[in-house]
Amino acid sequence: MAKQVEVVMAGFGGQGVMTAGQLLAYAGMDEGKQVVWIPSYGPEMRGGTANCTVVISDARIGSPIINNPLSACIFNRPSLDKFGALIRTGGLLLINSSLIDVVSGRSDITEILVPANDIAIKVGSPKVANMVMLAAYVAATEIVSFDTLNRMLELKMGKKKDLLAINYRAFEEGRKLTGKVITTR
Amino acid sequence: MSNDHTPVRRLMQGNEACALGAIYAGCRYFGGYPITPSTEIAEGMARMLPRFGGRFIQMEDEIASIASVIGASVAGVKAMTATSGPGYSLMQENIGYAFMAEVPCVIIDVQRGGPSTGLPTKVSQSDTMQARWGTHGDYYAIAVAPASVRECFEQTVKAFNFSERFRTPVTLLSDEVIGHMREMVNVPEPGQLEVFDRVRPDVPAEWYHHFEITPNLVSPMASFGEGYRYNITGLTHDQEGFPTANPVEIKNKMDKLKYKISRFADELIQLETEMMDDAVMCVFAYGIAARAARQAVAMAREKRVRVGLIRPITIWPFPDDRIRQLMEEARVKVALVTELNMGQMVNEVQRLVPRHCRVEQLNRYDGEILNPVEIFKRIMEVKP
Repeated sequence: MAKQVEVVMAGFGGQGVMTAGQLLAYAGMDEGKQVVWIPSYGPEMRGGTANCTVVISDARIGSPIINNPLSACIFNRPSLDKFGALIRTGGLLLINSSLIDVVSGRSDITEILVPANDIAIKVGSPKVANMVMLAAYVAATEIVSFDTLNRMLELKMGKKKDLLAINYRAFEEGRKLTGKVITTR
Repeated sequence: MSNDHTPVRRLMQGNEACALGAIYAGCRYFGGYPITPSTEIAEGMARMLPRFGGRFIQMEDEIASIASVIGASVAGVKAMTATSGPGYSLMQENIGYAFMAEVPCVIIDVQRGGPSTGLPTKVSQSDTMQARWGTHGDYYAIAVAPASVRECFEQTVKAFNFSERFRTPVTLLSDEVIGHMREMVNVPEPGQLEVFDRVRPDVPAEWYHHFEITPNLVSPMASFGEGYRYNITGLTHDQEGFPTANPVEIKNKMDKLKYKISRFADELIQLETEMMDDAVMCVFAYGIAARAARQAVAMAREKRVRVGLIRPITIWPFPDDRIRQLMEEARVKVALVTELNMGQMVNEVQRLVPRHCRVEQLNRYDGEILNPVEIFKRIMEVKP
């Protein structure tokens, strides 16, 4: 079967999970892969949890919605409760440890703690926590290259030079976290 | 694909692709009433139409929406609306009017769960039969069902072509998932896809009959207000458009509605098949359900199950001849019909399969989509 990677990005509305997912999808697309990006769509749009799924594949993608994804980037506690148990055995879970003080408790997956908000504040804006997380995810999976990711970021916010610089810094910091893989806290 | 030369390559939503496809096809009027999960189509049209010299009107409800679309089309403009199940139900009376008055127009139904207000944010394919038999009376309907974002674009263009070619309303059946998911689309350049415009009269006004019975049964269509006098009514009418009670004229009119489409079905049929050559089993799916089915078929092939996929893109008229032929040629013993409803198209398949073929079903109607693994499991359960 063709190589296919699925990632769920989940958090509160406003944490930028949709944007992070879209950026990843754009990068996959730019590298010539098949991509599908689908948002959660329902009452949760009004302030509760929000999530999106990105599927990146070498071949045509069947279902855009994945019940048991290979990986997830989790930005808040309710999302961990919802998706923590759904990740496939052997999969990857990234947890925003700035806001979540627990882990999934699973031993059959790889878990990475990303203090996304803390790092984001350090580089200049709490708004770029999503980019820290995305960079950590890309560094861990190498699903797309950072060159592509940087280029997509520039396409998306080319006009806002100051924001772009903060986002790049967020990428750099997120990228450094790859080594810190843990399974228990 | 990375060294593609097409300049406009974008990650876009199914709904966005429908709106772009409509503009590409030459649609210059949209009358609608926003409803989840179709609203992004109206938003896109509201943004784009003024730039293309078109008009967008948010009407007071769906009944008025389709009425305005019919009016715009009679005035000579390619027109469409977009809605979901509840709105599609409200539109049915006037859609019948468009069938009877032979007014080209496009209706996009982004399906959600029903009946009634049902599941506004959840996927479904439960309007399959409504697209065929939604309004009362006898008529021949055309409907297309895209399975990807790219197809949303292409099939919207086709829907306009079909409606203009056959002077009839055409429904595009999308759904919540295709509408909201984003995929890559190479937006075609102008001229890359065929765009068909309605045939206009080439005779002087005094010789013109708005419902003339022509060799291909489609009458040239003059726009209201350009000097050709004719009558339009929902009552069964003669070639001038005036009500008739003459049995011969009535039968002629009804035959026209049917045969203008059924005799030319070859122009309409779009059918995709995969791995049917040696198949002893087929999965039959359309729209969103076909994506998971395609993957499930590939999974089953790896387990050496001789299974293929049949996917109609044009679902109405139903591709009777092609399917009958496929089933016989391939000696299919089991047909598995997968749908996101309680079983609508399965009956069409049932009436076409040879006697030695068993029809099985896999249905989901809980607001979720079918995933490849569950279809694969069902293939393994029912395979011959």
